[in-house]
Amino acid sequence: MTASLDARSINMTFRNGDELTRVLFDVNVTLAPGELVALLGASGSGKSTLLSIVGLLLRPTAGIITIGGERADTLSDAESSRFRNTRLGFIFQFHNLLPDFTALENVGFPAAAAGDGMNAAIRRRAEMLLSRVGLSERINFPAARLSGGQKQRVAIARALMNHPQLVLADEPTGSLDRASADQVLALMREINREDGTTFLVCTHDERVASHCTRRITLRDGRIDSALDTQITPAT
Amino acid sequence: MFAFLVARRYLGSNPWQTALLVAGVALGVTAFVFITALIQGLATRLTDDVTAKSAHVSLEPADRVARIFHNPSLRTEAVALVSTLQRRQIRAWTATVALLESQTSVTAISPQITGSAVLVRGEAAAPVAVTAIDPRQLDAISPVSREIVAGDTSLNANGILIGVRLAETMGLSVGQPVLFRTDRGIARLLVVEGIFKSGVQSVDERVAYLSLDTARPLFLLPAGVTNIEIKLKDTGQARSFAKFIGGATGLRATPWQDKNSGLADALTAQAQTGTLIQAFSLISVLIGIASALSLSANRRRSEIGIMRAFGISRNFIASVFLLQGLMIGIVGASLGCFAGYGLCSWLATFTKTDGTLALPIAPSEGGYALVFLLTTGGAIMASVIPARSAARLDALEAIQQ
Repeated sequence: MTASLDARSINMTFRNGDELTRVLFDVNVTLAPGELVALLGASGSGKSTLLSIVGLLLRPTAGIITIGGERADTLSDAESSRFRNTRLGFIFQFHNLLPDFTALENVGFPAAAAGDGMNAAIRRRAEMLLSRVGLSERINFPAARLSGGQKQRVAIARALMNHPQLVLADEPTGSLDRASADQVLALMREINREDGTTFLVCTHDERVASHCTRRITLRDGRIDSALDTQITPAT
Repeated sequence: MFAFLVARRYLGSNPWQTALLVAGVALGVTAFVFITALIQGLATRLTDDVTAKSAHVSLEPADRVARIFHNPSLRTEAVALVSTLQRRQIRAWTATVALLESQTSVTAISPQITGSAVLVRGEAAAPVAVTAIDPRQLDAISPVSREIVAGDTSLNANGILIGVRLAETMGLSVGQPVLFRTDRGIARLLVVEGIFKSGVQSVDERVAYLSLDTARPLFLLPAGVTNIEIKLKDTGQARSFAKFIGGATGLRATPWQDKNSGLADALTAQAQTGTLIQAFSLISVLIGIASALSLSANRRRSEIGIMRAFGISRNFIASVFLLQGLMIGIVGASLGCFAGYGLCSWLATFTKTDGTLALPIAPSEGGYALVFLLTTGGAIMASVIPARSAARLDALEAIQQ
């Protein structure tokens, strides 16, 4: 079976003037389709950098990235944009939604802006996704007036809009209260289980990791193989 | 077009800021329209003032220039001398008048004898510039009849019209005789039939009108005339008409612009000043748009970062900002044109006591199409910098802020 993500020998070094800082050392990550993986690590361990690299937002110093069987690290800027639009979904901790648009417009935005605008098909799918995340009552609600938990659920719906092969979530519950965080995590787990969507969730929170099916731990820029474990997620 | 929806939503998200921006553009456009209408109105008034009382094209005998003939095979040159002792006149003036009458662009023709003379009364003497015309066409070139303050304009065989300043200087009034001595040395007693007041001191002091029949023996021109003055329907065509009629008749044809080069220079200087003011008002408008959109692009960095993250192209993001510039340009320019026209029309209602406009403004000459195109095009250009900076934004950097 083709892996959702296969990242091989990923190295990353940042240059700050004459100073070079290496943050990733020969990192190898493979995600099978339908996995819900927690990427754990302390602050500065390199997990956000790795997430940005596999999300094609950052080009690694060295390494090979294959997503859904397609080589992605050699794409041009425009190709990389198209790839992100059609094959990847993103959920961020902050700045999740476009505040001047409704919940439905936010969900449909990635498809509408890449195509011919907000057509009926996009609208239908956005409505279905909003219904799926429990926000059918908030379809035409301005994003700016949604609660934090509702915003993050809209962001999940938006990440799923273009049928992504991999959804990347960076501290998706970091800015939520406990109740909202639990709702969001349960929703991600439900989508993963029912739709088989692959998630890579970057977090430092053990409670978030407990909802995942597998955990990978980064320590000082290296994968700790001893801590790459399959787990039974909390329901 | 989805980018249009996004641009419209961005502008609508901060209605006060957008309204201020559009108002700024409209104000600049209003200033442009006002200056254009004022300069055009001023030019029209100055031109009308000059062309209303003078000929649009003057025909005179061609200059006499000695011609040199040389043959390369010979070592000598031949010079054809032209006598300057002959009287300069247009002998075949009736044929020229017939040709002019056949031209639809001509509205008035006045064959004239012009010359110099001295008016003598007792020991007082005053030089005058004489214009002899057909009394039936007295007002053909300049509205003399309307300027008469005493007497009439019948111009009988011994009649003369003089200016009010000359009449005061020489103590003359209507019905009084005065000795008229031409530069040809011929003298005759004429009677003052009318006194005019043009309002121009040099004219009221130095000009006199006779009939052509009276002037012929006095200036020794039994058949010819010295010049033919022409009025045209369109004063702007004077130069091309002069070229045509000069070529057709062999006479020297001078358009009014060449006789009033000072006015042409003044109009050019005025137009250049207007262009500078127009350019500054447009530049201020464009700087306003560029800075407002740059601020907007900066304020929306995180949103742009999110869009870039989920794969929205750089071109789409650039087009959102270009469309904002376009919309601001179109709305601002339209409002500015309406406001400018309203302002000019309102100012055009103010008149002085003599009935002329207090401000010589021409509301219909506000350069509306030009300013609309310049503002709209300029607004798009002004939004290129913010559009490029937004499109070049690094997604990761923007999200992490």
